[in-house]
Amino acid sequence: MSDTMPSLTDRIAALPGCDKTLARVLFGSALLALLLGLGFGWLTALGRAGVTGFEPLLAARLLTLHGVTVFFYWLYLAQAALLLVLAGAEQNCGGLALRPLAWVGCVLMLAGFAVSEISSIIGTPLLYDGGPALGRDDPAAVGWFSLGYLLLGAGLAVSSVSVIATVLSRPNSGTSEPLSAVGFALFAWAGFLIVSAIASVNAFLPSVLWALGLGAFPANQPTEWHILFHNLHYLPLMATVVVWYVLVQALTGVSSMHGSRFSKIVFASYLLFVPPTSLYHMFLEPNLAEGVRVVGSLLSLFVAVPTVMAFLIIVSSLEAHGRSHSSSGGFSWVRALPWKNPVMSAIACSALNLALGMTFAFVLIQEKVAPLLSDTFFVPGYFHFFAVGTVSLSFLAAMMVVLPALTGTLPWRPSLLNRMPALISVGLLIFGAAGIAAGFVGVPRRTFDISYGGDAPALWHTLMSAVGIGGTVFAIGLTVLVIGVARSLFQKIGDVTNQQPEVSWGNTPARASAAAWVGPLGVLVMVLAMAVFTVVAFELMNALPLIVIGGSGGHSH
Amino acid sequence: MSENRHFTTRRSFITGMGFGAVGLYGVWAAYGAAPLPFSTHHEGLHDGHGEPAEAVGHEGMVHGARLGMTPETFRREHAAFVDKFKRPDGSVEPGPQAAIAHDMSNHLMMGDDTATHDMSDHGMGPHEMSHMSHDSGTDQPVDLYLLAFMWGYNPDTLRLRTGVRYRLRMMADDITHGASLQLGTASRIIRLRPDIVSEQIITFTKPGNVLIYCTVYCGPGHDRMQGKIIVTGSEPGGQS
Ligand SMILES: [Cu+2]
Repeated sequence: MSDTMPSLTDRIAALPGCDKTLARVLFGSALLALLLGLGFGWLTALGRAGVTGFEPLLAARLLTLHGVTVFFYWLYLAQAALLLVLAGAEQNCGGLALRPLAWVGCVLMLAGFAVSEISSIIGTPLLYDGGPALGRDDPAAVGWFSLGYLLLGAGLAVSSVSVIATVLSRPNSGTSEPLSAVGFALFAWAGFLIVSAIASVNAFLPSVLWALGLGAFPANQPTEWHILFHNLHYLPLMATVVVWYVLVQALTGVSSMHGSRFSKIVFASYLLFVPPTSLYHMFLEPNLAEGVRVVGSLLSLFVAVPTVMAFLIIVSSLEAHGRSHSSSGGFSWVRALPWKNPVMSAIACSALNLALGMTFAFVLIQEKVAPLLSDTFFVPGYFHFFAVGTVSLSFLAAMMVVLPALTGTLPWRPSLLNRMPALISVGLLIFGAAGIAAGFVGVPRRTFDISYGGDAPALWHTLMSAVGIGGTVFAIGLTVLVIGVARSLFQKIGDVTNQQPEVSWGNTPARASAAAWVGPLGVLVMVLAMAVFTVVAFELMNALPLIVIGGSGGHSH
Repeated sequence: MSENRHFTTRRSFITGMGFGAVGLYGVWAAYGAAPLPFSTHHEGLHDGHGEPAEAVGHEGMVHGARLGMTPETFRREHAAFVDKFKRPDGSVEPGPQAAIAHDMSNHLMMGDDTATHDMSDHGMGPHEMSHMSHDSGTDQPVDLYLLAFMWGYNPDTLRLRTGVRYRLRMMADDITHGASLQLGTASRIIRLRPDIVSEQIITFTKPGNVLIYCTVYCGPGHDRMQGKIIVTGSEPGGQS
């Protein structure tokens, strides 16, 4: 990015007032969704731990509300808010293009939020995928629930059009390229959102039509959901690496040393690597042929390529610049990073949690072990490393930079907030370790009372209690962090911009001889951990006193 | 510029490391779980009933014959199965001899068109049919039928023996369920879609009680959806 460009916070502070208002509404709604969804999730975790004996319908309702609120409304309202602000900042002082569309998008998304919450509270609980089979006797619940997602999708699509128009509206001054790496990333991200919104129409419009008596029962919904859902969990991950890219630059002045073209290729490669890798969600489908499972498994090995490459671009650039600025050599550059800044802590923890999440995601992509782990608590056990530890922490880190600049306030209690990413990660580690272990021993994913009249192993209860403890720990840390971040939306202190500790390593280019070991070593450790846990899964599988030939997952001995 | 750089900061190195997780393939291969994609019988997602009764090629077992059991046939065979083998205590205990007799009476005539049609109705692939004609059916698996419904299994208790090959056919009656087997240390998870017949050949190697439980949320009764397999040693007065 050009040296003549003002800092990110200055560019955000210079946004037109109406864009700032829009951003505040969206960030505020996103944080509200996070707090609500976290509350539902905490109650769910207590229910799973056996602390509270919710009756089955209430338990399913809490689980539905948790998934709907955090996965759909927190993660997607936050993405819309970040996209709009970053696009506005990228355009540098003119503000958003097609501004009315951005506002229409906001209204649609908030309407969707209200409809989804109310229908989840009142109607038959459908879980967050809104499967119509569970609501066959309650078409109204299916219809309203699906309408909520359609409104969200429409709002995201409309907002994304404004984002794309904004980043394309003016060539980035000072470079010969029409788009900076960040501008291009925002463009790809918004485009991916529009594609997903179209997939959501395929998944949910037939349900609305059925509820209105205008269409047949949407028997195909589970398949359409799988296609949508696969996109939906790589979008936040792509958003996360874009956020890292922007934040590391804001925090240290370092942008990619590999050229913006390389970054653009990596961001664009999400569109290449994500769609063909969706089959691993379907390994247990009884009508999926073994050949398809094998191919799906092989393709899934490539699903992390863009994320790992983006991680390496960022970390290697940071390390090479850090080593060039550090006098004492070795890894002392790590200590020189601005660790007193909660944004730095959040990014670092989020990178560690990403590695943990990927480690276990890659155990699950092996189709032969799917019959051991799919539909067990292994799945929520590992995906919270992504959803909470990686994506939510990164989005909150971005908000710690963006919101004070947006409202002209000081960040609230940075030294307190600085401890939260570590606390959240410790909670997640307990939750994830216990949950993954519970999955390995067969605890089902969505069953609250796992006693089975005394027939279930005693270990199941012990592990699920630990899940409840871990969930409580990270819920506390996350609540404090959200409250701290949200204070910047309201607290008026005066015209102060972010004064958090930063370093400026970007002023001089990195020494050519500077090495960058942290990224590749991290990847190596992660791949070794994948191998270890894959071996564990195979060994457990092969030790079962059952020989199976045919059916899901082939055979085992 | 790029050539003078330390190799860890070169684009080619970063690209290569980006593919690092592909190295996991080595572990898969070590467990015989990484055949070349085209070495196995390859068919697309089909919306037919049932699935290939196959084991992947590398051990040279039965190749992907697609089963054609319809939900109607499943329901009929399931009812006959429960009716035939039900014990006074409500559990179902299929006897191997009886099962073979049952199979033989249905499929005694080989070669004529009607019989072949009947065969495919019973989900037999061409390999198994030839197998049967050569070996006179002596090591045919014993058929089991398990129907999952809101909220339970029919039969809810099965009495089986170790060392016996069972052809376990399962189907969900109403909405999607699981029929997962808790086998002590871990479980074997199965997802059952309504009106799609799943089939596996299973052999228990140890006696014990196996909990069958549902792993797909299926409504307010999901938590209490369970069944049981009581596995005893195959010899009279056997291993347990
Ligand atoms: Cu069920």
